[in-house]
Amino acid sequence: MPLTLLGKFALRAGAAAAVAVTLAGCATPPPDDDPDAKAEYAQINDPLEPTNRAVFAFNDRVYRYVFNPIDSGYRAVVPPFGRDRVSDFVDNLKSPLYLGNDLLQGNVKFAGVTLGRFLLNSTFGVLGIMDVATPMGLPGHSSDFGQTLGVWGVGEGPYLVLPLIGPSNPRDATGYAVEWFGDPVDIYLDDHDLQWASWTHTGVNALVTEDDYRDLLDDVRRTSLDYYSAVRSLYRQRRAAEIKNGKNPGAYAPPPKSVANPPHGGQTAQVPAKTVSTEE
Amino acid sequence: MYRRTLIKAVFGLALGFAVLPAMARAEPSVDQAGKFVTSLANSAITMVADKSLNENERDERFRKLFVANFDIPAIGKFVLARYWRVATPEQRGEFLKLFEDQQVLTWAHRFKDYSGEQLQVAGGERENAHEWLINSQITRIKGPPIPVQWRLRDEPDGSYRVTDLIVEGVSMAITQRSDYASVLQGMSGHIDQLLSSMRTKIDQMKAAG
Repeated sequence: MPLTLLGKFALRAGAAAAVAVTLAGCATPPPDDDPDAKAEYAQINDPLEPTNRAVFAFNDRVYRYVFNPIDSGYRAVVPPFGRDRVSDFVDNLKSPLYLGNDLLQGNVKFAGVTLGRFLLNSTFGVLGIMDVATPMGLPGHSSDFGQTLGVWGVGEGPYLVLPLIGPSNPRDATGYAVEWFGDPVDIYLDDHDLQWASWTHTGVNALVTEDDYRDLLDDVRRTSLDYYSAVRSLYRQRRAAEIKNGKNPGAYAPPPKSVANPPHGGQTAQVPAKTVSTEE
Repeated sequence: MYRRTLIKAVFGLALGFAVLPAMARAEPSVDQAGKFVTSLANSAITMVADKSLNENERDERFRKLFVANFDIPAIGKFVLARYWRVATPEQRGEFLKLFEDQQVLTWAHRFKDYSGEQLQVAGGERENAHEWLINSQITRIKGPPIPVQWRLRDEPDGSYRVTDLIVEGVSMAITQRSDYASVLQGMSGHIDQLLSSMRTKIDQMKAAG
């Protein structure tokens, strides 16, 4: 799921601002005589880096000085049990979106799980406030339209940081916009002149998302040297894994190649000798 | 007669000693690698849950466990990527030392939030001659299980070392490589500058606990 923080309003304002700011700054590609740097540039896939960094810094301030205090208030006032009920409730309201995307991705089995969860949680789970389906052996999953596009073979495009919304790319931003207009729950509320409910839905969704991601982001900020590039890498890997999982649900997606293990006694010899304690 | 039996026994015993370590060193397999992951997770959980340890003792034990079971030189080399080739032996040594500190602080802190999660191993595969990919999931009190994959390398002595953790499809090693590459790029590839910003980071992490 993309880092969606302010919902509807943010998208409208954000999309306009993104286009404007995007035109302002582009990264300079490395010269042709440095193949390593060129490969790195292609792999990072962030030609708009200077602009993205500026937007990222702006978002970070908004998170720290606006969203985090709101979330801290929420955490102080509502005990964990209550927060779980709120989170389960808004998650259940996303079932129509999950179901639609499961079907568009051709995942009949996942669609069945989503439908089963929705029926169980909306009834025995008291309108969705209790996730009773998970203990009954139907754990939840999320699926979104950016992921669906990815499953269909649409490429991610360059990395983008959208104002207030956060890490994205043209594919995921498109998916986000489609879901924003196409969310059956919001369409229903708007049709019945319940705009206040639709806005509340958006606000609560934003709060729950913030609450979900806060600890993760704090951990990345704490452990990384360059918070921006750690988040970029994390977002891109996560989305790639979600798309692989959409194509082949339930299986462990084969992870990207990472630490290459040289044969025994091979290149590791170059590593300065280190005595490693094998106690414990 | 007696003498012959004795010789036989001594010979047998000697042979036994020679053979035993070889037998204990089971052929690497998905099963063995999975057992390694389970026992590593259990050791970590037992240690975190051990109320008799004070903070310093726990940190010290955590470091030992981590250093013994993670192939820090291999991970560090991967993270530094192309800059490893141009680093001097002194820079490499210093980098690995700081990298180890940084890793230990990162994981020790993550384990402080431990609240009853359990790890279950669910098979895996052999990636190549000495590499293994073990699938597992972390079950929590609340929320769906988190899939975690472990990339391991088997050692000539029959033990295993972790070379990467892939949490919900996100490789820790790749994320770090991306982070470090970006910092080095901003420093025009000056490794000494990277080392000094690693030192600053480590101090910050220590101060924050």
